[in-house]
Amino acid sequence: MVRVKFFATLRDITGKREMEIKNVKNVAELLQRLYEMFGDEFRKEIERRNMILVNGKNILDMDGYETEIKEEDEISIFPPAGGG
Amino acid sequence: MYGYWGKILRVNLSTGEIKTEEFGEDFVKKWLGTRGFGIHYLLKEMDPKVDPLSEENKMIFSTGALTGTTAPTGGRYMVITKSPLTGYIAMANSGGFFGAELKMSGWDAIIVEGKSDKPVYLRIEDDKVEIKDASHIWGKRVGETERILTEEFGDKHVQIASIGPAGENLVKFAAIMNNGHRAAGRGGVGAVMGSKKLKAIVVRGHKRVEVIDKSKFISVVREKTEKLKNDPVAGSGLPSFGTAVLVNIINQNGLYPTMNFRYGQFEYAEEQSGEAMAKKYLKRNKPCYACPIGCGRVNDMDTVGETEGPEYESTWALGANLGINDLASIIEANHLCDDLGLDTISTGGTLATAMELYDKGLLKQDDLGDAPPFRWGNTEVLHYYISKLAKREGFGDVLAEGGYRLAEKYGCVDCFMGVKKQELPAYDPRGAEGHGLGYATDNRGGDHIKAYLISPEILGYPYKMDPHDISDDKVKMLILFQDLTAVIDAAGMCVFTTFGLGADDYRDLLNAAFGFDLSTEEWLKIGEKIWNAERLFNLKAGLKPLEEDTLPKRLTDEPMPEGPNKGHVVRLKEMLPRYYALRGWKEDGTIPEEKLKELGLEEYI
Ligand code: SF4
Repeated sequence: MVRVKFFATLRDITGKREMEIKNVKNVAELLQRLYEMFGDEFRKEIERRNMILVNGKNILDMDGYETEIKEEDEISIFPPAGGG
Repeated sequence: MYGYWGKILRVNLSTGEIKTEEFGEDFVKKWLGTRGFGIHYLLKEMDPKVDPLSEENKMIFSTGALTGTTAPTGGRYMVITKSPLTGYIAMANSGGFFGAELKMSGWDAIIVEGKSDKPVYLRIEDDKVEIKDASHIWGKRVGETERILTEEFGDKHVQIASIGPAGENLVKFAAIMNNGHRAAGRGGVGAVMGSKKLKAIVVRGHKRVEVIDKSKFISVVREKTEKLKNDPVAGSGLPSFGTAVLVNIINQNGLYPTMNFRYGQFEYAEEQSGEAMAKKYLKRNKPCYACPIGCGRVNDMDTVGETEGPEYESTWALGANLGINDLASIIEANHLCDDLGLDTISTGGTLATAMELYDKGLLKQDDLGDAPPFRWGNTEVLHYYISKLAKREGFGDVLAEGGYRLAEKYGCVDCFMGVKKQELPAYDPRGAEGHGLGYATDNRGGDHIKAYLISPEILGYPYKMDPHDISDDKVKMLILFQDLTAVIDAAGMCVFTTFGLGADDYRDLLNAAFGFDLSTEEWLKIGEKIWNAERLFNLKAGLKPLEEDTLPKRLTDEPMPEGPNKGHVVRLKEMLPRYYALRGWKEDGTIPEEKLKELGLEEYI
């Protein structure tokens, strides 16, 4: 079971802080599933810019949307955010 | 001249003399503003070895090139002086409305010299400048000071920069506050003001800052403002959740310093996140002068009423770094720090040092008597010791000296998590190594805002860099950030604009205001000059680069124990020599004469 955590505006859009999901092999597939579940609003928020971590590691430092997901992985998804 | 009046106010508090001095366009092209102006005067007029709390130390309150114009976030001012905390340069930046008002009063900067023997404040109403008695407000907190002075002035539009009891009592990390909650926070600039017995600067201006070509400037401002509004971070992320949105981000990325940087993740981060704050306490946003972003938070709490903040840094410093999870206590402590005039980062860092010493058995309950134990997570520590240290009462007198001196007193310098005696901010560099090089080389010591490498290493701006890459590309990026930030500071703009704007955008705004035709590289060269001049000041003040351009041992020698950065340290030794070389410095970290000449700094050698 893969654990997916949502942050900031994504919590309002999905109505959840986290959920579990089965049978996804990479980030692209996971996003596809989430788009189906949460619709255009979710897709738009993510497509503007995002930060996706697999076990705390940014997918941009790994294989991007092709980054593999394994059972027991924890995925964190953030909408565009910054501060200082 | 446009953009500036070309007028500097010089006030000597020892003699009571008030003078006007002038500068021309050449000075702007050389130093741009704020930090640039400040370092020029310090290098020219003061021995960098002076005691920071003596009458020989000078303070420069300076606006920037675009302060008071309609440039987005163009409302900032800086305080430049020698820091009593680090013994090196301090350049503290603040937003709110004070900077713009100062410019509108017809003064670009104020140089404060000497020392008054009784409490005074400076009253500026356009050309009229007076030194006034402040004995009736000495001892008062920031909120009350602002209320009384506003009433006395009889104009609610007046702007005030003041110190609280912490500055008066020479707490080494006292801040200068304006608009209640905006702080020129770091380096103990409030203590320098306190040592001069200068309680406040009260300013009201009725002039309009002119730019050379109004319609051109308006169109450039409009374009850059649009850019910021359309940027997902500056236009929606920061306004929605404020800077505290970073709590979850940095925690999930595994570099949220927990319990004095022992760990990189805090179990209860969620409870003190920007999301939690927005749900429970947020009342509205509050932007600074001319700011289209508006990251400021107004929170409402039963205990303290309406308050502002805490920002990400303060949330962490008064929370996770002490093992404290209770958001209400953190908000209250932040309010208290603002009202007493304290830098929240150093306050939290000092308390964290005390907790580490207590945990190790080096600081004993006997040393504290009946006062609360410094146990991790003990919220009682916050209110009790923050109040005590601001007044230097009891053990508070030891805390008021900052974390380094505290750790030294109890025989464990390695328990102090700071650089150049200044407490570190809210990112464990074992999860962002370039940011760690930034800490080690920052002219004002442990600090994140003069070169925010978290942007590329974690947030992905302007593009994503691997946080554990330590190649020359990373070192060059740090140097670029240091130089560009000096330009943004000197322009009088907020560094948060970097989420939506790039170096060329600042060039456009500056050129349009002054009618200059400088390239981006030429503006960055001014940033490089400022950085080098500040370094020169530090070297003259006695900086030993190889010993002091460093990080606490925990970060270079003890691998992160858990989380996404498990096993990592900061490979500082591998980066530092390359940093010196790429800066054009000598192997020992000093600046060769040719470099100083190349930057036009020969007159300051
Ligand atoms: S972004 Fe935030 S700190 Fe910067 S000027 Fe705007 S409100 Fe002030």
